Order: sequence, then structure tokens, then C-alpha cells
Amino acid sequence: MFESIRLRILQGDPIVHDVHHTVLPPLFRGMPQIQSEKCPEGCTICRDLCPTNAISLNPLKIDLGSCVFCPLCEKDCPENAIHFTNEKHITCSSREQLVVTGNEPGIKPEIASEKIRSYFGKSLKLRQISSGGCNACELELNALSNVNFDMGRFGIEFVASPRHADGIVITGPLTATMAEATQMCFDAVPDPKIVILFGACGISGGIFKDSPELNREFLDQHPVDLFIPGCPPHPLTFITGLLDWLDKK
Amino acid sequence: MSFLSVQNHRPFHISDIPVISVSEFENSIRQSLQAGFRLISLFALNPEKSEKTVLAVLSNPLTSSISLTATQFSKDDHRFNSFAADFPQTNYFECELAEENLIIPNGHPWLRPVRKQSTVLGDQPYSLYQMEGEEVHEVAVGPIHAGVIEPGHFRFQCHGELVYHLEIVLGYQKRGIENLLLSANSRQQTILCESITGDTTIGHSMAHVLGIEALAHTNVSLKTQVLRSIAEELERVAMHLAGLGGIANDIGYAIGASSYGRLRTLVINGLALFCGSRFGKGFLVPGGLQFDPDEEAIEKLKSNLTTVLNDVSAINLVLFDSTSVLARLDHTGTVTREWASEIGMVGPAARASGIDLDTRSQFPYGAYRYFPIPLITLGTGDVFARTRIRALEIEDSIRFIFEQLDNLPAGSTQTKVNDLQPDSGVISVVEGWRGEIVHSLFTGSDGKLTRYKIKDPSFHNWYGLALALRNEAISDFPLCNKSFDLSYAGHDL
Repeated sequence: MFESIRLRILQGDPIVHDVHHTVLPPLFRGMPQIQSEKCPEGCTICRDLCPTNAISLNPLKIDLGSCVFCPLCEKDCPENAIHFTNEKHITCSSREQLVVTGNEPGIKPEIASEKIRSYFGKSLKLRQISSGGCNACELELNALSNVNFDMGRFGIEFVASPRHADGIVITGPLTATMAEATQMCFDAVPDPKIVILFGACGISGGIFKDSPELNREFLDQHPVDLFIPGCPPHPLTFITGLLDWLDKK
Repeated sequence: MSFLSVQNHRPFHISDIPVISVSEFENSIRQSLQAGFRLISLFALNPEKSEKTVLAVLSNPLTSSISLTATQFSKDDHRFNSFAADFPQTNYFECELAEENLIIPNGHPWLRPVRKQSTVLGDQPYSLYQMEGEEVHEVAVGPIHAGVIEPGHFRFQCHGELVYHLEIVLGYQKRGIENLLLSANSRQQTILCESITGDTTIGHSMAHVLGIEALAHTNVSLKTQVLRSIAEELERVAMHLAGLGGIANDIGYAIGASSYGRLRTLVINGLALFCGSRFGKGFLVPGGLQFDPDEEAIEKLKSNLTTVLNDVSAINLVLFDSTSVLARLDHTGTVTREWASEIGMVGPAARASGIDLDTRSQFPYGAYRYFPIPLITLGTGDVFARTRIRALEIEDSIRFIFEQLDNLPAGSTQTKVNDLQPDSGVISVVEGWRGEIVHSLFTGSDGKLTRYKIKDPSFHNWYGLALALRNEAISDFPLCNKSFDLSYAGHDL
């Protein structure tokens, strides 16, 4: 027992207390800052380089739903017009909102409806579905339950059964082989329910978007409530995004 | 000569690979398997053609040699005599060859789907193995499991609590990476390889960049090599900590689970200091590294690792000294040395069964050529051994990282990559944290990649998990599963 107490003391206080204001490492790639006034006319370097075609020009915009934060555009831009900041607030509630001009300091989802907040504001249970996820997103979602992020303190938890869940979190580009299971799992979640896409693969197919092995029909049929961009997204992007959406402190 | 002998990460001309008759091919492979070689890849070089050339890649860890041999199947005869009955390690490779290319192994004891789930040989329906008997019952789990985890289906044939047989059905994660790699440009290729399995971002991107650099006759600086190895060892430490945390969690040892989880955060945050990603995404690129960590990042990483080394030994002392913990780990899910060797197991799971197999010391590459890392094995092959070996590897890896950080060579971390040599190939083997990763790359006459074959360590080891469950209680499945810690995405590609 004394050994266990000793281990507990060794743990110290590892929790991230202020999830909104904790600063991520300087190299972490979150919200991009774009200075499109620096772009010489006719320059298409960044757009041509982008491995997932996330960049559109005139004016220069980056689709965070496709971006894998690699960051070739930042490295190879001769004008240094693109810089990925370590700003983690990049969760959105609409697909359009993910296409950024880089003038925003960060983005926040629109606050959820009164009904959603009254149902899930105090307790939100989620069922995760991996559909071709490479296990990076899955590990970051698992990390949400560790002693550092401890998402449970906000009343948000992952559960085993879809019957106990209030919504699903999808990772991966949605493979054809998981289409049936994904639909069955979603159907098993009682109404009202939410859909969250975690990571570039889920949002746009990411680096796999041209694969013939995908079946993304599920997303045509069901509206998505939250988009969490990244490859993989940082756990704090998930927590802060959900807290903003549910309008919790 | 029926074999071309090549070295790890050394390019060769495709025309130098001997293409021999099917019967000679069978005999040569048989002889070399008997002589202690392991089959590490078997695939068609030209899957799109009707006359397929099949290449076998064999490696001998004792002599550090890799041998290649090939045969061509005629349009009408797609058959060869299976090795699987005598050498079970070839079983799954033959199934894959049959599934992807309709090349049929005659006399294969049990042809089953690899990624297509319900059919074999194109269109023949496949039913999962089923036992009959009054008190026999079947348990089906997945593809969606209880935790936040990748999908796969497990079918148990049980007698009461005892598992007689476990059949593992995968393919839910199939994204078609091998084909995507051929149409991708070089930047996309690196990102695709990072995403083969995100928990082995560094391992797979290491295999990729070393393969590309070999084909391009490009040498990178010593500093690049050392930093890449540091990243690889950081990934190993992080994932071993995640595994130990999972095992502690599965046996209800809460303080262990939370402590290992906390320490893993320190390690992956250390990797993020180097390259911005907690998984090392974007760090390795052909020709070097995208980031050159500064003094501050190195000092912070050292301080993180000092904490990890100190705390992990404290936790290990408690974990491996607690009777209730050992009661769960000892003699659970045993894979004997004989079985492990027969089915070609790799990585820490194989080393836990007493097999000397570690690419870092047997086929050294990059910084491991200059700074060897010890090969450790344990003998019992049970969950205890698979847990213990990961704890031991954590300590060795951290020591290695400290040594390298203290003597980091100066130099550039970026080299220009030449064009890929035409009509060439390379076998790139690296030791990911799960074990041996094999990438086989081939170019056409225009210097573009024409074939890219990937073998993740999980490809061998899933069968090891099925064997570990024989005569075990079904309630120990999560624990056995976690002790192998295998990849679904890496298997399905």
C-alpha cells in the first residue's frame, strides 16, 4: 500500500488545469496565419505542393478539413506567407467554417442549440467508431481519459455501448468494409444524437480521399455537428471545441 | 544461381533477380527455409499482368543476409505447391498471394481470407471455422469493440470458459495504401507511409525514406541518421508505455495504468518539441528531416526523459513485485519458442518467446550501425514475458537516446534527393516498436515506383495471438490482446 501511495505522490499534479489557455509546444501546428498580401501574382507554389489539395488561391485559403498539417506550404513558400501557429482552437460546427483565410486568431464552433445544451450540457457520452483510422486519432482520443487531460471532469466520456451514448465520434476516412457496422452503431444510439468527425480523414478523406476502398455515403445521409481538424487533432482541440460548443466555461 | 543476395537498404537491378521455373522456385524456397531463412515477403511484382512474376524475399538473421528469388506463372497455370504444411510461417503469405493475385497454393492446409473477409480465391464463399458439440459455444466480438480502438472481428470457439480456437477476421481498415502509393507524388507517399499505422509513424516512414534514399543513391548526414533513430526510440518508448498502461488497466491495476499514461505524455510531448507532432508526423522526409531541433528542445526532452526513467523504474518495481499482478501475467497466453519460430513471429513478442530477432542489431541501418543497441530476449513467451520485455526495452531505448543527445553530431539535416534509379528495387527492413517492418520498392524504366509492397509486423503476429488464446480463459482475451498490442490498420493497409 505504501508503494502505491509513493507512486501517487510521484504523479504530482500532471493535470492540464486550464484547457483553454495552456500553450502548446512552439512547433505544434494548429491555426494557420496567412498573409496573402505577400503572394506574388500568379504564384501557385503552395497550392501545387499541397498533398491533399487543401489550398485555394485568390485569396489564399486553407481548408483545415483537408489539411494534414505536414507543413510543406509553410516550409516551401518563398515569401513566408503561411505560418502554422500553435493555436489549438480550430474546432468548427460547419464544413464551410473550416476553410480559413488565416486572419482569424482561432476559430470556435457556433454554440449548440438550446435543446442540445439542455440534453448534453452536463453529461455527454460518446461512442467512437474507427473506420480506417490509422490509430493516431484513436490514441489521441484515448489520451483524453488519461490523468493529463481527464475529460471526465467536464462530464464528457467515451462509453462502450452505443446504447449508452449520446453520439458518435468517427475517425478514419470511412472504409467500405466498415460502412455497415458504422450505420448499425449509429442506429443503436438513441435520439437525439450527435455526430463528430475527428481528424482530416473523417472530415474529407484526408490523404486517402482518392482511395477506391472508401464508402463515405454515411456522411451524405447524416448531418455532422462538429468537425475537429488535425492529423491527428490535439486532445485539447477536442476538449476546448466541445466546451465552446456546449457553451461551458 | 537461384537467389540474388542483397543487403538491407541497398538497391539492386530488377533484372539481376533470377527468374526460375516454378518447381525450382519451390525447391529453392524449401531449402532456404530449412536452412533457417525466414520468409519476409511474397508478392507479385506485376499484379496487373496476366503472366505474373512472383518474388519471394527471405532473410537470415544469423548471417544478416537477404535473398531474392522469383518465378513466372503462365497465363493458364497459376498454381504452385504450398509450403505451409511444413513451414507454417508461409501460411498467411500464401493466403495473401491467393487473395490478391489468384495464385493458388496447392495443398495449402487452410486457405482463408486476409482482407476480403468472406471469400477466398476470388469468389468462393468462406465460412469461419466452427466446432460442434453439446457444450461448445461460439462468441463473436467486433468489428466495433468496447474501447476506443480499431475494428476487427474475433470469433471464439469455447467450451465453458476455455477457448479452443480463435479466428481473427480483419480487413475493416483497408484503405488500399499500396496502390495509392503508386499514383502519389513523393510528398504524398511520405504522408501515406506515416499513416499506414499512426502509432508507428516513425517506423514506417523510416522504412519508406530509407528505401527511397537507397533507390535515389542519396546519402544523408550522420546527424540526420542519429535524430531519426532518436525519434524511432522515442516512439518505441511511448508505445511500450502505452502498452504497459493498457496491461495495467486490463488487470485492474489503476495506479499503474495512470502512471504509465502520464509518462507516455512526457515522451510524446518530447517528440512534439522536435517536430510539432506528438506522433512524429512530418519529421522524416526523403533526404533528411523537416525540422532541426534546437538546444532548448533537446534540454526539455532530456528533462522529460529523466523523469520517465526515474518514475518508470519505481512503477516497474511495484508492478513486477506484486503477487496479484504476477498471478495474472505468469503462464497466461503462452506462445512457446517452437510455435513462435514456426509461425514466424517478430518483434518484442518473438523476443519474449526466446527468439533472437531484432533488425536493429541483425540488419543494422542508420545510426544503429555505429551505435548498436542490445538484443534482449526472455524465455517464457507468456503475458509476463511480453510485458517485461517492453519494460526492459524502455530502459535500453532511453539510455540510447541520452547517449545520442549528449553526442549529437553537427551538420545539416537536409540533403537533396536525386532521381530514383530506373528498373531497380530495394528491400527496406527496419525494427518498428512492434517488430520487423518490410517495405519493398521497385521502379520502372522511367524511374517511377511500379510496385510497393508493405509488410507490417502485425501480419505475422496476429496468428501468434490466436495461438496464445488456445486453452486460455476467454476472460483473459483482453489481457493477451494487449500484450501483443497489434495493429489493425498496419495489417489491412
